[in-house]
Amino acid sequence: MLLQTLRKSANAAALLLAVLVLNFAMIHLAPGDPVETLVGEMGGSTPELIAQLRQSMGLDRPLYVQIALYVGNVLQGDFGHSYYYDQPVLDLILARIGPTLLLVVTALFSATVIGTLLGVFSAQRRSSWLSHLVTVLSLAGFSAPVFWVGIMLILLLSVAVPIFPIAGMSDALGSESTLGYVLDVARHLVLPALTLGLIYLAFYSRLSRASMLEVLGSDYVRTARAKGLPRRLVIYKHALRNAILPVVTFAGLQFGQVISGAVLVETVFAWPGLGTLAFDSILRRDTPTLLGILFFSALMVVVMNLATDLVYRRIDPRIKTR
Amino acid sequence: MGLTFMKGLAGMKGLAGLAPMAVAAVLALAPAAHAEPKAGGTLTSFTSGFRSLNPAVQSGSATGMPGSQIFAGLIQVGADYTIEPYLATSWSVADDQLSVTFTLVEGAAFHDGQPITSEDVKFSLETTKANHPFGKAMFGHVAAVETPDAATVVFKLDQPVPGLLLSLQPLLMPILPKHVYGDGQELKQHPRNMENVVGSGPFKVEENNPAERLVLVKNENFFVKDRPYLDRIVFPVVKDPLTRVLMLEKGEIDLAPFSGVRPTDAKRLEAARGVNITTDGYGAIGYIHYLELNLRNKPFSDPKVRHALALAIDTDFLAKVIFGGRTVPGTGPLHTGNPFYSPDVPGFARDMEKAGAMLDEAGYPVGADGTRFSFTLDVPSWAIQAHVPMAEYIQATLKKLNIGVELRRAPDFGTWVKRIAAFDYEATMNGSFNYPDPTIGVHRHFACDNIRNVIWANTQGYCDPAMDEMLAAAAVETDIEARKAVYAKIQRKAVEDLVFIYMPQDFTATVYSDRVGNLPSTPFGALAPWYDVYLND
Repeated sequence: MLLQTLRKSANAAALLLAVLVLNFAMIHLAPGDPVETLVGEMGGSTPELIAQLRQSMGLDRPLYVQIALYVGNVLQGDFGHSYYYDQPVLDLILARIGPTLLLVVTALFSATVIGTLLGVFSAQRRSSWLSHLVTVLSLAGFSAPVFWVGIMLILLLSVAVPIFPIAGMSDALGSESTLGYVLDVARHLVLPALTLGLIYLAFYSRLSRASMLEVLGSDYVRTARAKGLPRRLVIYKHALRNAILPVVTFAGLQFGQVISGAVLVETVFAWPGLGTLAFDSILRRDTPTLLGILFFSALMVVVMNLATDLVYRRIDPRIKTR
Repeated sequence: MGLTFMKGLAGMKGLAGLAPMAVAAVLALAPAAHAEPKAGGTLTSFTSGFRSLNPAVQSGSATGMPGSQIFAGLIQVGADYTIEPYLATSWSVADDQLSVTFTLVEGAAFHDGQPITSEDVKFSLETTKANHPFGKAMFGHVAAVETPDAATVVFKLDQPVPGLLLSLQPLLMPILPKHVYGDGQELKQHPRNMENVVGSGPFKVEENNPAERLVLVKNENFFVKDRPYLDRIVFPVVKDPLTRVLMLEKGEIDLAPFSGVRPTDAKRLEAARGVNITTDGYGAIGYIHYLELNLRNKPFSDPKVRHALALAIDTDFLAKVIFGGRTVPGTGPLHTGNPFYSPDVPGFARDMEKAGAMLDEAGYPVGADGTRFSFTLDVPSWAIQAHVPMAEYIQATLKKLNIGVELRRAPDFGTWVKRIAAFDYEATMNGSFNYPDPTIGVHRHFACDNIRNVIWANTQGYCDPAMDEMLAAAAVETDIEARKAVYAKIQRKAVEDLVFIYMPQDFTATVYSDRVGNLPSTPFGALAPWYDVYLND
């Protein structure tokens, strides 16, 4: 078990290193010059300043030297300096990663739990209104683009029926107490998390419904029922444990996709996370920041996959023996 | 504005229209006459993000709007370009126009309690001159700054500078604390541009979280008596224009200058209860759109070809369709809100037949392949809501003249800048700011010595000694009427020479709620101090 975990961790580290090198190479080979963008933002410049900036950013060196230096620095915890914000990239990312994790984890966790419950309920009553609702919700969730869903939710739940705020993570004049702040953030979190999670909610409800239907028709469930076990025990202890396996697998795999979706959602809802920072960094050719964000996104995905693996083992004891 | 003083720019002589005489003013001023201003309240505006709060080193509205609240200026600009006292209570211009002496208000202090002295003014001018993109254009002829005592500062000039005073308001020359910024660190990258900012203006920085919001609070020790009215200004970071529209509609934003609303959004917002829109307050900024042609190469080196294009492009149509009739066609290099604007320029009524004939005459008949010539039109990544439809219109209308246009959309700002600044382009959609004095925003496009590899310089490669002569004359002419006459000639020549083909002026609007009183709507609008702004219940 320990050996396996170590091996997986080593694989993850190698993967992250590859991500680092590939991202660096791809971004530096793409068109667009960060120095030109920076001097443009400054309103103009001289060839001397351009040359000086290029030198100070290390962009005058061969690409392989730049990659080697970058990887070496990252291994020492130095992710470089943002061209635009003129701050260490790590500081920028650490300031923004919390809101993004809050948004992404809330969206994914809610989608997984609510989606699975909806799927389980609808699987038990295939022709019920709930089952039809899950089908409609799935179709809607899959068909609607994330930004459109966001705008529609704002129009419905912020403008027409003003329950939730339109944008931001907290009120500038919010409560000074911790509980007040938490409630304020929670109020701001509802719409972006719902927007981000809707498509996954739809997906997991369909997935768990199909999985549950399959499990409910299996021999061991029939046997359990024949033995006279209570219905609730059959469904939630025996059937659900097996039916949930594909949901857990997908949740781990889809973590990366949720982070990608967060870029749009954060922009629409002015959520102060990594997504808006990534969006700005792309437009401004702020490559050190962008590389840092991509690395941390990859790190989150890798950690999530490792966690999924552990959860999977916990749910399905057969995995341990393999 | 509450500062009720001064004569208008028109009809005056001297630096920025000021007579060479001592000008006195009282800063304990009467409140604005048109309403009952109230003290207190939190006003919510917005920002799309900024990299610095120091307008001395960073131009643009993102920095300038909060920057003008945090930092004071020597003077401020009132309605009709009147020069009004601010940190300077009075000033006098020498008879030879080569020195200006300012007297500073008594008891003024920075946000950290340190007194504002003439040394700070000197430091601020030197900092701006060295670091602001227009530093040299504004203060290149300020040869020395003398500080005979703490309350007196003298600018020594090596030639008369008619636009000097206009450049001394907080947007263009903020008063910086020397004891903070004079520590020898590089000013453009100085950490105090964003952290623990110590200003001299009506509001202090309470919270600066670039990811989420900027919060300014009232400076209780502000040197203008009984100001500011507002307790607090919040600038939440909102990048998505549609989200902004919805926030405005719902009343979550009270005041949105440079709102970025499109004409269609404007219609929606006008219908919302308690929401208003105005295009006032952008005259001094004067943003204009134009089609820039690289004059070095054929076919655009031929004035007849440029003339034919001007005849083919219907700017009235563009103003009506793309901007929903909310703007006017541009007529020349100056914005209609600029004090030196002249309408006396040649017009180009649409005439496709004449345009075709001119192209034939210029040696570009329709060839065997059905075209006269083709070119690539660059489309920048910024202001795409205006540039993209205008470029598409140009492509369609020139097709009728058998001219092929290939649109090349830039993936980002840097890519576009690189092409244009390297003169590696045939034509591009473009636009720039006039700024109040044409020496800052207009001369740069026409002066022979400004053909440089820098964006928004004379990148199109225009050079005419007659134009240079007029620009030089306008730069030192201190009689306002004589100066206006020179600029009228400059505008006429620029249009006759077809240096650019002017598109409709931009639709730039301020959206604001009924709660906002004393809307900042002088020529500098929201880029001027907001200490007179108040909130109704």
